[in-house]
Amino acid sequence: MVARTHEPGLKQAHFRTAGLPTLLLLPQLLILLFFFFIPSVRALMQAFLLADPFGATVHFVWLDNFKALFRSESYRNSVWVTIWFTLAQNVLTIVVALVLAFATDRVVRFQAAYKGIILLPYAIAPVIAGVIWAFLFNPSVGPIAFFLKSLGVAWDPNRNGWDAMLLVVLAASWKHICYDYIFLVAGLLAVPKSLMEAAAVDGAGPVKRFFQIALPLLGPTLFFLTTMNFVYGFFETFAIIDAVTHGGPAGATNILVYKVYQDGFVNLDLGSSAAQSVLLMTFALLLTLLQFKYVERKVNYSI
Amino acid sequence: MLSLKAQAAAGVLALCLSGAAMAEPVEVQWWHAMTGVNGERVDELVKKFNESNEQYKVVAVNKGNYDEVINSTIAAYRAKRPPHIVQIYERGFMTMLLSDAIVPAQDLMEKAGYKIDWNDFIKPVAGFYSYKGRLAAMPFNSSSPILFYNKDQFQKAGFDKPAQTWGEFEKQLYAIKKSGAAECGTALATDYHWSLIENYSAINDQPYATKANGYNGLDTEFVYNKTLVVPQVARLKRWLDDGVLKIAGQGFSPEQLFTSGTCATYFASTAAHSGIEKNAKIAWSATFLPWEEGREPKNSTIGGAALWVIKGHKPEEEKAVAAFFDFLAKPETQLWWHKATGYVPLTNKAYELAKSQGYYKESPTREIAILQLNRGTPSENSLGFHFGNFTQAMFAQREEVEALFAGKKDAQQAMDDAVKRGNEILRQYERLNKGKY
Repeated sequence: MVARTHEPGLKQAHFRTAGLPTLLLLPQLLILLFFFFIPSVRALMQAFLLADPFGATVHFVWLDNFKALFRSESYRNSVWVTIWFTLAQNVLTIVVALVLAFATDRVVRFQAAYKGIILLPYAIAPVIAGVIWAFLFNPSVGPIAFFLKSLGVAWDPNRNGWDAMLLVVLAASWKHICYDYIFLVAGLLAVPKSLMEAAAVDGAGPVKRFFQIALPLLGPTLFFLTTMNFVYGFFETFAIIDAVTHGGPAGATNILVYKVYQDGFVNLDLGSSAAQSVLLMTFALLLTLLQFKYVERKVNYSI
Repeated sequence: MLSLKAQAAAGVLALCLSGAAMAEPVEVQWWHAMTGVNGERVDELVKKFNESNEQYKVVAVNKGNYDEVINSTIAAYRAKRPPHIVQIYERGFMTMLLSDAIVPAQDLMEKAGYKIDWNDFIKPVAGFYSYKGRLAAMPFNSSSPILFYNKDQFQKAGFDKPAQTWGEFEKQLYAIKKSGAAECGTALATDYHWSLIENYSAINDQPYATKANGYNGLDTEFVYNKTLVVPQVARLKRWLDDGVLKIAGQGFSPEQLFTSGTCATYFASTAAHSGIEKNAKIAWSATFLPWEEGREPKNSTIGGAALWVIKGHKPEEEKAVAAFFDFLAKPETQLWWHKATGYVPLTNKAYELAKSQGYYKESPTREIAILQLNRGTPSENSLGFHFGNFTQAMFAQREEVEALFAGKKDAQQAMDDAVKRGNEILRQYERLNKGKY
């Protein structure tokens, strides 16, 4: 600990006593207490119960809810769906956002206008975004679906699970690209011009400069975004799934967070729903820990 | 001994309260799930009641769809601030009945001194909402699925109207598509499990589950994987593959596929009348659901919802609820509601009144559901469906039908899996509610 006080920059401790930082943290801690810790504990308790939704009859069933989940084919399916969905969404979002950030960093004229347009989807509520995509690709009325059909593609997300999956991945990524884009544009602005100029003088073209200089310097940003994208894919895509597919067809897009909602709030199976939310939280925690343990090491924070 | 100040304060408070009670009617909350045209009708209905008396006032609040209403009710009940009346769909019957959260409607009416002739209620409705011979909930919006069709498109393909049997009807749909009279034969309704599977089962007298479809005990088991339901879902898959059946998909109403003339027929609740009358620019009519050839068709079963009274309210508020129910049961109210929405009239008196006014001569399609509900003598297979966790079991069935539609399973496999999953859900309910039914 003693050695740390000599570290420069942000890692240096600015507070000498515990009083002020505690006070500053208190509002946030209170919010966490009421909206995270208390509900989490209650969910954990509920996960061991078989209960009437009205609370009239409650049986303590030990791990039965969890056992039932591991036996359940639809739950295993949901785990796979979530993994595929989150990975695909993550890769697509980052790649497209990177290309866009790189491109807008390169253009000179109307840069602000391009940036504004790219940021627009972020201003649209997820449900509305979902409805737009569902409509565009609806096989009965959607213009893009008609176009695909005219090309001879048998497009039908209402029947075909892969089509439905593709559609929600597109919708979820489209909604989130702008978020990643903001961070990447900021990251590119922080790349020292002198480095770039030196590389240019040495004869490196723009693509080479991007891969050899800009990309490594964007490491921390990319790492942060990957984590955020996972959290987004796990939890915040709920509204899009709800609007585009309702988790169907046949569970093909039924990601874990949507299944929690469906089993708990539509089917009123509170015990199973609580067990699922406990598992989901554990997954998310494990994933984040893994990322910090293994991916963060490869990230270079010093400039 | 209270201090003088406190006594005076209490006195003033009591005065205020009694004064308020005299001036203000007793107010009760009613949470419902009616939206669109039917939601406007609910507001009119409540307005009629509130204007008809000075003692009581009903406040109707839309809480979203049926799922959202039951959820809000559960949340409010657990927070000890429930509304007085809630509208719960027929699938939630067992959940509400064994919830220990309700006052049975018949008890409430008797306690408040109202005499309602429950025997006058039409049988499939009263039978469905009864438990041990007494009404548990006040029937409100009851419906049954019927077959809407496009008259011009049938004529163009050379038919007067849809055939009565499934075999002939299927040939018609294929002919309509082939002749180009319509782009598709029928649009798959959102609640097809109700019209094309459950009611199909009842009308063709097929057992859906043991123990008279759950009427005789919680230890009931689904058996529809061994009945005509299997070829029925296989037929739907065939239609879908041949483009005779269309799925509208998320965010787009299948009703629009019918009212816009894309599809020639539409299996839907009789309550779809109000929407179709408003939106359709086509020449349409309606008829009974088809049945399998060589069978004596039984009655169809009901859908829709009933009004449940949540317990724990003041006696005068319960009286207000009773007064409102009494108003609802009146033949005039029933008739008005039937005409305004398309839901069936709940009492024979209201039905007779409609007939005597010649209502069905001008709107013959409004009578189909009632005739279909009252057709023949109900068998154990056509009484209705009393299953615990029924929403959950239905959801599992729908997922399996989707797997069939996607070509991942064949009809037999899909129904076997649906029954297996459904039975696990029933066992969970039995375990929770043992000895209560």
